[in-house]
Amino acid sequence: MSTEAIPAEKPKRNYNALFGLTLLALLVLLWVILSLSTSSFASANNISNLLRQGSMIAILAVGQTFVIITGGIDLSVGAVVGFATVIAAMLINAGIPVFLAILITLLVGVAIGLFHGFGIVKMGLPPFIITLATLTSLRGIGLLMTNGNSISINNDAFQEFSRNSFLGVPNLFWMVILVGIPAYVFLHHSRWGRYLFSVGSNAEASRLSGVNVQRTIYMAYTLSGLCAAFVGVLLASRIGIGNPTQAEGWELQAIASSVIGGTSLFGAVGSVHGPLLGAFILATINNGANLLNVNAFWQRIITGVLIIVIVYFDGLRRRGGK
Amino acid sequence: MTSMAQDLHPAPVLEPGRTILELRGLEKKYPGTHALKPVTLAFKAAEIHAIVGENGAGKSTLIKLLTGVMPRTSGDVVWEGKPAALATPHEAMALGINAVHQEVVLCRHLTVAANMFLGEENSRFGILQQRAMVKEAQKIIDDLGFDLPAHVTLGDLTIGQQQLIAAARATVRGTKFLIFDEPTAYLTRKEADQLFKLIRRLKGEGVTIIYISHRMEEVFELADRVSVLRDGTLVGTRNIAETNDAELVKLMINRSIEQIYHKEHFTPGAAIIEAKNLSGKGFENISMTVRAGEIVGLYGLIGAGRSEFVTTLYGRHRKSAGQVQWEGKDVQINSEHDAIKLGMALAPESRRDQGLCLNLPVGFNLNLPIYKRISSNLLISGTQEKTQADRQIADLRIKTPTRNALASSLSGGNQQKIVIGKWLAHGAKLFIFDEPTVGVDVGTKAEIYRLFSALLSKGAGIILISSYLPEVYELADTLHVFRRGKLVATHGFRTADHEEILTQALAEKQEKLGGKI
Repeated sequence: MSTEAIPAEKPKRNYNALFGLTLLALLVLLWVILSLSTSSFASANNISNLLRQGSMIAILAVGQTFVIITGGIDLSVGAVVGFATVIAAMLINAGIPVFLAILITLLVGVAIGLFHGFGIVKMGLPPFIITLATLTSLRGIGLLMTNGNSISINNDAFQEFSRNSFLGVPNLFWMVILVGIPAYVFLHHSRWGRYLFSVGSNAEASRLSGVNVQRTIYMAYTLSGLCAAFVGVLLASRIGIGNPTQAEGWELQAIASSVIGGTSLFGAVGSVHGPLLGAFILATINNGANLLNVNAFWQRIITGVLIIVIVYFDGLRRRGGK
Repeated sequence: MTSMAQDLHPAPVLEPGRTILELRGLEKKYPGTHALKPVTLAFKAAEIHAIVGENGAGKSTLIKLLTGVMPRTSGDVVWEGKPAALATPHEAMALGINAVHQEVVLCRHLTVAANMFLGEENSRFGILQQRAMVKEAQKIIDDLGFDLPAHVTLGDLTIGQQQLIAAARATVRGTKFLIFDEPTAYLTRKEADQLFKLIRRLKGEGVTIIYISHRMEEVFELADRVSVLRDGTLVGTRNIAETNDAELVKLMINRSIEQIYHKEHFTPGAAIIEAKNLSGKGFENISMTVRAGEIVGLYGLIGAGRSEFVTTLYGRHRKSAGQVQWEGKDVQINSEHDAIKLGMALAPESRRDQGLCLNLPVGFNLNLPIYKRISSNLLISGTQEKTQADRQIADLRIKTPTRNALASSLSGGNQQKIVIGKWLAHGAKLFIFDEPTVGVDVGTKAEIYRLFSALLSKGAGIILISSYLPEVYELADTLHVFRRGKLVATHGFRTADHEEILTQALAEKQEKLGGKI
C-alpha cells in the first residue's frame, strides 16, 4: 500500500516544528490575554518571577523527556530535588567550597540515575516501580539525615545567585538555556539521541542493529537524575534551606510539561523545546491565576483540564496525519 | 454461551453455489490515491475463493472494507440479498464475516482457551467457568485435529501454532464468511496441512472462504475460484480448473516465473564463519561453514532450532559448547555488538517485533546500524544522514514518499526491504536472513533475491533460513536440513529432490507438532 501514503504524507514533515509553534502561540496568547486583563502581569518584576517559577520544572521536564522517549518514566525526580537540597545544604554548611558542593550534589543525582538503570536493566524491574521506590525512600533517607528539620544554608553568595539577573534575565532562566541547548544538540543531533528514540520504538530491533540498549537506558535515567539534582541545587539556592520534603509532586508537573510538549508516553516521540514550552505554559497558568485571584484549588483543576485538552488535540493531529 | 460445540458447525444458510456476498462497484479512495477501483464480484456460498495480487494491489483494502474496518468510498455490498453497510467491525461480525490475519492479533498472555472464548466467555453468576472453557476449547482443538493443549499460555506456542488457534477461534463464532489473510506465512508444511484440512471442512459446512496468499501452489491446492488484483483493479476471476500458474502470475505482474528465482553462481572464496560442534538452547552439535560468495540454506520446521542456532552465532544467546571461527580465527561472540563488529548482520524473522522501529521514519531505520559511522565525535552529519538514506531508498527501490515517512506507513514488502537494506550500507561480510520473504509478494521477492546476488558478488556470504522449500531449494548453494535441533542432512545446489528434503525435515510421522524443545 505504499502508494496510498504519498499524498497524505507530505504535510507530516513539518508537524513537529508546527506543533512547537502552536505551543509557542498558545504561550504568547496566554501572555497577551494576561497583559490585557491584569495590570501587573506585564511588569518586569512579574515576568522575572514567572521565568523563575517555570525554570526549575522546565529543567526537570527535559530530563524526564529523555526517559519517556525510551518508553520509561522517572517518578523520582521530585524526591531527588528535595534530597539534593539536603546534600547541598549539608555540604555548604560543612564549609566545603560551593562549586565542589554543587559538583558532589550533581554526582549524587548521577548515582541515583545509575541505580535506576541498574534496577531496570539488571534486576528487570519496571521503570515505574524502581523510580517509585526511590521516590519514597529518598524522602525517608533525607528525613533521617536531617532528623526531620530544615537546614538553613549560611552562605549568602550561594543564595544570591538565584535572585540575581544577568542582562535583565533571571539567572534561573539562564540555567534553562544552559541545560536546554546541549540537551537539544544531544537529543536531535547526536547518535545517542537517536538511540533513545530507537530503544523507545523497538528495543529488540535496536539491539539487533547493534545499539547498546542497556547503556542507552542507563544514560536516560542518569541524565534525568542529573537534571533533578541540578534543580535541587537551584532550589536550595532560591529558598536557602535544605529540606527533603520540598518539591512534592514536581515529578508530576515535569511529566505533565513533557506530555503537553508533545512527548508520547508510549515512547519514541518527543523533543527538547516541547517540554520547555510546556513547563512555561503551566507556570503562566499558575501565575496568571494568582494575579486574577483565582482560587488555588481551581488552579489545579484548570491544569488538569488543560493537560487533557492539549494532549487530546495532539493525539488528533497525530491520527490525522495517518 | 452454553452450546459452544454447536457453534462449531454453523448451519449453512444458503445451499452451495448460491451467491452469499456480492460487491457492486465497490470502491475505495484515499486522498490522492485510488486504492481500489470499482470491483464487481459475487462470492458463492461454500466456495473457497482465492485472491492473489502483489503487495499494494488492493487486497488489504478489500479485506478492510469487507470486515468493516474502513468505510468504502462508493459502491454497494449485498449480503444474502440485502444491502449491507459494513460500517463497523461489529456489524461485519454480526453478519458472520470474520478474518484471520497474517500477524496473530490475540492476547499472548492469556491461555489458549481464554483466547478462544475472548469476548464470549462462559460464566455462571458472573464467575468464569474456567475449567469448562478449557474443556470446550480442548474439544474444539482436538476436533479440528490440532495436537495442541488448551490450557497453556498462547505466547508459549510458536507463531505457527498461534495462527492455528486464531483460525480455530474464528470457526466457533457462527462464521459464514471467513477471510484468511496469508495464513500460512509463518506455518510449517505440516501446520499448513492442518489448516487446509480445517478450511476444507469449513467449506463442507457451508462457510465461504476468502483465501489470500502469495503462494501459487496453495491457491491451486485449495481454491475453487481465484480473482487477481493488480494496482487496485480486479483484472480477472478464473475457475481454478481453467487456469494455471503462468496465467495467474502474468495477470498479477506481467513477468514470468523463471525471472523470480534469480540465481547466479559464484566461485566460493575463503571461509567467513565456521561453527564447530556448536550447541546451545534449542540445538546441538551443529557444524557448518559459510564461504564468501555462497548462500547456505537452512531448511526445517519452525522450532527445528534454525533461528536459535543463528541467534546464538549472532551473540544473542550463549552457546553451551563448541567453537566459532571467524575468517580462520577463534572468536568469542558474547553480544550482538561483538557480532556486528566482526561483520555480521541479522535480518530477523519477525519484522514487527524484531526488525523495525515502526513509529520512526524510514531514513532513521535505514541509518540505525551506521549512526556511528556517519557521526563525527558525537554529532551526526545531517547531510550524510540524508544522502545515505536517500541512496538506500533508491538502490533498494523502497516505495516511500520521503525518507521521513514512518516505517509503519509502508507495505510489508517495503518494510522487509528496510530490514534487509539497512545492513547494505553497513558493509557486513556475513548476512543472516531469517525468513526474508514471509508475507512479501512475488515482485518484491524477486528484488530481494537479486539483492542476494549483489551481496554475493561483493564477496559476502549468506545464511538463508526459510520454511518455504522452493526458496531455499532454488537459491542455496549448500542446503542443511534441521530437525529437532539437529543437522540431519546436507545437500548441494539442487542435488536432492523436494520429497527427499521434506522427509528428512519431517522424519517420523508421529512427531508431535512443534513440541517445545
